[in-house]
Amino acid sequence: MSMSGKSFRVLGERTARKDGLARVRGLERYASDYYLRNMLHARVLKSPYPHARVRSIDVSEAEGLGATVITFRDIPRVRFCPRLVSTPEATYKDWLVLTDRPLYVGEPIAAVAAESEEEAQRALESIRVEYEVLEPILDPLDSMRPGGPQLHETILLGDEEVRVEGNLACRLEVAEGDVEKGFGEADVVLEREYRTSRRYHSQLEVKSALVNPEPDGGVSIWCTTQTIHNTRLLIHEIFGIPTSRIRVYRLPLGGSFGSSIHTNLVVPIAVALALKAGRPVKLAYTREEDMHDHSSYQMIFRLKLGAKRDGRLTAGELDMVMDIGAHQVQAYPLLGCVVGWWVSLYKLPSKRYRGRAIYTNKVPSCAMRGYGNPQTTWMVESMVDELAEAVGMDPLEFRLKNYVGKGDIFWGQGPTVKSVIESCGVEEILRRGAELIGWDKRPKPGEQRGRYRRGIGLGRGFHTSSAGAAVPGTVVDYSGAILKVNEDGTIDYITAMVDQGGGSLEAHAKIIAEELGVPLEVVNIVAADTQTTLYDVCTHASRGVYAGGGAALRAAREVKGKLLELAARVLDAYPHALEIRPDEELGQGIIYARGVEGKEITIGDLTTMARHKNWGTIASAVSFRPGSCPPHFTAFFAEVEVDTSTGRVRPVRVVAGADIGTVINPDLAEGQIHGGFAMGWGLAVLEDTPYDPETGDLLCRGYITDYKVPTAADMPDVEDFKVFFVETHEPTGPFGAKGLGEAAKNPAAAAVANAISNALGVRFYELPITPDRILKALREKG
Amino acid sequence: MRIEFTLNGRRRRVDVEPNQLLLNLLRDELGLTGAKYGCGIGVCGACTVLLDGEPVLSCLILAVEVDGKTVETIEGLGEGGRLDPLQEAFIETGAIQCGFCTPGFIMAAKALLEENPEPTEREIREYLKGNLCRCTGYVNIVKAVKLAAERAKYLT
Repeated sequence: MSMSGKSFRVLGERTARKDGLARVRGLERYASDYYLRNMLHARVLKSPYPHARVRSIDVSEAEGLGATVITFRDIPRVRFCPRLVSTPEATYKDWLVLTDRPLYVGEPIAAVAAESEEEAQRALESIRVEYEVLEPILDPLDSMRPGGPQLHETILLGDEEVRVEGNLACRLEVAEGDVEKGFGEADVVLEREYRTSRRYHSQLEVKSALVNPEPDGGVSIWCTTQTIHNTRLLIHEIFGIPTSRIRVYRLPLGGSFGSSIHTNLVVPIAVALALKAGRPVKLAYTREEDMHDHSSYQMIFRLKLGAKRDGRLTAGELDMVMDIGAHQVQAYPLLGCVVGWWVSLYKLPSKRYRGRAIYTNKVPSCAMRGYGNPQTTWMVESMVDELAEAVGMDPLEFRLKNYVGKGDIFWGQGPTVKSVIESCGVEEILRRGAELIGWDKRPKPGEQRGRYRRGIGLGRGFHTSSAGAAVPGTVVDYSGAILKVNEDGTIDYITAMVDQGGGSLEAHAKIIAEELGVPLEVVNIVAADTQTTLYDVCTHASRGVYAGGGAALRAAREVKGKLLELAARVLDAYPHALEIRPDEELGQGIIYARGVEGKEITIGDLTTMARHKNWGTIASAVSFRPGSCPPHFTAFFAEVEVDTSTGRVRPVRVVAGADIGTVINPDLAEGQIHGGFAMGWGLAVLEDTPYDPETGDLLCRGYITDYKVPTAADMPDVEDFKVFFVETHEPTGPFGAKGLGEAAKNPAAAAVANAISNALGVRFYELPITPDRILKALREKG
Repeated sequence: MRIEFTLNGRRRRVDVEPNQLLLNLLRDELGLTGAKYGCGIGVCGACTVLLDGEPVLSCLILAVEVDGKTVETIEGLGEGGRLDPLQEAFIETGAIQCGFCTPGFIMAAKALLEENPEPTEREIREYLKGNLCRCTGYVNIVKAVKLAAERAKYLT
């Protein structure tokens, strides 16, 4: 039963995911598991300098070894943006596939393909490059100062060339209401600087591409991507191959977390090599190369909030500088999202925002699960705790007084994507979570002595479900679904949407089974590619269930209508009086007239009859744009223990509550929250990729030995991690469902940080809160 | 070099290079892609296989080292077309998300349960801390190992 009073047959049931069998047997094939006969192995020559100019490059020896070699000269000099989610007026282009002006250690200069990986490596090492080494700039605040090194002279906005001044990649300012007046009315005004880290996605599967050149001049591509259609569009944009001859296969992803929203560079590099060699080419990065390929955005916030003594917020001002590394993947849309995340947490009668994205000679930043929301939420939730303390209010009550909820305007994905919130379970999440964790019994900040100190913290947040809206805006967001009914009553579901692992496609299958009244087993998620699917923008923005599921539901409705119409002919009944029920024994759906004995036919028999009578295929194809992007809400209550001798923090207990509308896959939904907490834990206390100021390279040089992510031993026991769902009904979602993937993480780091502060009575303004930082803070506190 | 070893119950004779890694032999030559490359330096555990019953990282083992020995990979798990209790438990508890780390986890957990059929939760977590997962937060994986251990106990 859901909150709306509807009871479901399939949705909300614990079912075995369809791809589970292949995955436990080691038979699931990811991009790097594909091999072609006669394929060449590729390696990429990368800049050893953070900032340089290629004076000359000599590839003759490599070619003499029999390798196919490409440099920037072999690829059309098309400046592009690897992420095609935004519309042209919101898309900055500053990338080349291979460059003669490397802007970070690891930027591809040339590539080779040879008969074996070893031969390719040998050829690579024989390439002679003469560099003019330029002064690098690694700190975003230094980068903004005049007179320093400039990374880009000009870049493209859409097709228009724009000059870059002071390494400012792009900026955004937004204001609403009278901010000065708002701060004037406040009894308490706090202003703080917050700094986050540059994290690495550390997705288990490294970036990989296999490309087969086809006889018609096209290419077939098996690669790591969250969007097969945008990959195809980009390859068309760079190489001019007709779109219909570019076939990108939908594959499972070994985790991605945003690192393949954009097309990974391995794809165009492998395409260029395959076209030149006239043979299949496989390019799989090493882990060290992968860590030189993408990172999260580092943000430096200056936040000012004002509140009245009764706890009501009056005004807010936020200035953000974001280190985006050497190129723009989606910096401009992110500037919009950050203000959206900020103003959609708590009601601010007046607000002012300035966001600036700055180039540095570092690995390019891209979205990482939450897209700036985890950082923003940590900042806001840290200050909200401080404000509550300043006005003498329980931090939980302070949140309840100010949160953006039902009926309020939600800034979804920024100022261009606004909608009204129609479902919200925030209050219930906070009340139930507080009870489960024992919020009332939490210690007073700083009251503990002794070596081990415990604290309880709260982090509350949300994320959008898709980037849908009532108007077009600057973000593309729609999905496609094709359904075909087969002669044995089974259903083929064809979609371009990639499952990152969370089970989006499993949810679609359940939605289809629910709507059609058939057993879940008969809905097959079939293999698909760009040539056989309708467009889907990308699996990002927690849109898998909400937007992709929305398309699947509409396709199922259409097919159902056709089934009932044909059944009405056969049964001599009226289509609107017919229903479908699943027959587990027959393993398919049965169409029947209620209450009339004998008036029934299985979907298989009906479809077979349709074939014999030449009525045609019972099928539907739907392209669906969601008209909203409803927030799904979460809160984490974390109890931690700080060892004041070593500075180490240990999670003791976690309680997490979520409002995701109708819950479709309960165990997978819980799994999202478990994983979201682990990633939030990493953000809070573990993860960063500092740079070596001498070499301009990552200090860890790409070795994950020195990039710690949480292990099983670092996480709390199963019984100490409680997850609950507050079920609401989202009227715009499929069967009332919303997204989950990102809110599952967004407030986790905030909860951990607030718990540490609760334990120690010290606040931290920089992430990660490492043992060194904790010990230093304790020393300073005395 | 010619080596001979037992792979998932079958005798295999193959020619290998002296510097060839077991992981590459399995994946590139023998078509067994269940063991994954995740780091190549023995940190992530995605390439875990059993060598004479012991869990090893196939990215750190030379193919020549398995000469005369027995190698078991994820593809060889389960008997007579039936899944191993660990495989069943991983499906049932929602322990699989992207699935990339799953084969490594199942092989490591297999070795754990052979060594210690009734592990405590902390023992499970300690044993599996050499296998990284970025999706699940490990909760459902630990549940799966517990469930498989309980079922095995019940069976014996």
